[in-house]
Amino acid sequence: MNGVMLVARREVATQIRTKGFVIGLLVTALVVAAVSFAPKLMDRPDSYTIGTVNSERLPLDRAAPEAKFEWKEFADEATARQAVLDGDVDAVVVGGTKVLADGQLDDELGVLLQSVNREVKLGAAGVSIPPLQMETVGEDARYDSARTGIAVVLVLVLFMLIIGQVSMVAMGVVEEKGSRIVEILLSSIRPWQLLAGKIIGLGVLGLINLVVILGVGLGAAAASGIAADFPPGIGGLVVGVLVWFVLGYAFFATLSAAFASLVSRQEEVGSVITPLTMTIMVTYFVAFYATTDATGTLATVMSYIPPFSSMVMPVRMAATEVPLWQVAASMAAMLVAVLAVLSFGAGVYRRAVLRTGARLKLTEVLRAG
Amino acid sequence: MLEISELRKRFAGGPDAPGGKVALDGVGFSVRPGEMYGFVGANGAGKTTTMRIVMGVLQADSGSVSWQGRPLDYDARRRFGYMPEERGLYQKMRVAEQIEYFGRLHGLSAPAAHKATEELMERLGVAERRNEAVQALSLGNQQRVQLAVALVHDPEVLVLDEPFSGLDPIAVDALAGTLQERCRGGVPVIFSSHQLDLVERLCDAVGIVARGRMVASGTVAELRAAESDTLRVVVRDPAPGWADGLPGTVTVNGDRHVLRTTSADDQEVLRRAIKAGRVEHFGVEQPTLTEIFKEAVA
Repeated sequence: MNGVMLVARREVATQIRTKGFVIGLLVTALVVAAVSFAPKLMDRPDSYTIGTVNSERLPLDRAAPEAKFEWKEFADEATARQAVLDGDVDAVVVGGTKVLADGQLDDELGVLLQSVNREVKLGAAGVSIPPLQMETVGEDARYDSARTGIAVVLVLVLFMLIIGQVSMVAMGVVEEKGSRIVEILLSSIRPWQLLAGKIIGLGVLGLINLVVILGVGLGAAAASGIAADFPPGIGGLVVGVLVWFVLGYAFFATLSAAFASLVSRQEEVGSVITPLTMTIMVTYFVAFYATTDATGTLATVMSYIPPFSSMVMPVRMAATEVPLWQVAASMAAMLVAVLAVLSFGAGVYRRAVLRTGARLKLTEVLRAG
Repeated sequence: MLEISELRKRFAGGPDAPGGKVALDGVGFSVRPGEMYGFVGANGAGKTTTMRIVMGVLQADSGSVSWQGRPLDYDARRRFGYMPEERGLYQKMRVAEQIEYFGRLHGLSAPAAHKATEELMERLGVAERRNEAVQALSLGNQQRVQLAVALVHDPEVLVLDEPFSGLDPIAVDALAGTLQERCRGGVPVIFSSHQLDLVERLCDAVGIVARGRMVASGTVAELRAAESDTLRVVVRDPAPGWADGLPGTVTVNGDRHVLRTTSADDQEVLRRAIKAGRVEHFGVEQPTLTEIFKEAVA
């Protein structure tokens, strides 16, 4: 076990000092913070400047409490027209009977003006209409857009981190094999220790990334106030995402190390792990599709099938309410898959990593038993 | 004692060699504690394959390697020091960290690994480079670091594949001095080399391998004893035909005649030489390792 920890510590210590890691972490943190602030910046409350000529100010605030209204009075219609053309005002109410606008009047403002005007006039005539009571019979849809947004961001983060760390594992394996460092390493530790140490070390770096992203994201969301729109149970989701990252990473990283141990040159790494990167991409696409239809059959079925479940289940967890037993069942299936891959990958790695030279065939390695 | 016996290894055939290639065909020798063993042979003779089998990097088809009377296993190998033919270091890792890391992997505690690293860097002259990345070092210095990695855990046995290749004479002396020190401390050292003069100078025993077989093994003196000594006589301006009937060869160099013979009676040769002319040289020459080697692999 000591050997595993030494190898893992070396991976963390060497990577964490590189410019690439530090800059990457800073950039992701900035991007995540920007994404968390963006909705507040873009989704500003509507504000209108409305002019009047010989008219009362309509009580628009009561009908639309979230919007801001600024009023301007004009002496006559001609100056008001000019103000509309200059863009100083969005609309001008003239004599309480007509509205001037430049081209097409903003739809929402138009509807608002009409209905408030009708209400005011009816009120003046002594007619009062009680407002319609709104009642929902479906699910609570208040958090739907926030949930989808979180799911989209999460699955992208999981995808980027997994594909990044998995290729680091592959490159690390080939670095050691190609330079024959592995011959010295394996005279002091066992192949499984070297493999486990490398996977754990690079996994810890991935987790550091993920924790920073989640921390910055949640912190920025709290600071910008959009955290108020978050659905309940965000804490459980965060824990779930961390667990799913570990499971998904363990699955793909082990296969990556096994495939990479078949080649001896860095130039061959890309091609030998292509089937794996394709699988990660497909997993991501399925999960991304699931963000648009989180309750659909495809999303539900795929959220149980390893390795797709490692990204699809977190999407479902973010986008809808998933019963705990479903999450547990999916995690159990993924765990079994990870264990199977570990035993297969460790076997391939052990047999292949000392056989330097030309690219080995997987079948050849398995036969060599 | 490290005993290597009857190692056989055949590599699977490729398109160019459908039947496979026999790399080792019964290689065996033994190295005593405190003995420096030079392993020589032409390229492709099987030196590297033998060392890789000793270090467990390759599996032999048959044969055995034992250390202190027991078959060599993983735990015993952990106490060996190894320098592979193709140098293996983390190019981007710093010198001191790297040596310490391998010390820790071999089971040293952090303070022990640190102390051993400091001593080795000092001894091998790379102490000023401690914080440089390995890739920034010259080949000679990289090789010193590589040796430090093999020595850091104070190994019981040293197995070094071509430790001196590509080094300048000063670096060779630094490495050789360190190896001799370990050797005097009772560590058996095996190293392969093409620099036969170096092997002759450093080694107590030599093994010559050719085409996967041991063709000679023993102390340099034993190998010499197996070869007959050469009597070399130089006679100036002798009477023509003075050496007729003597076994051996005469080469003429100006007015100097040089007779080399391994089987003639030396007293008879001396009498004839004195009678023939002025004897400038009369002496027995021991064969050099290069001569023994050429003879052995021929």
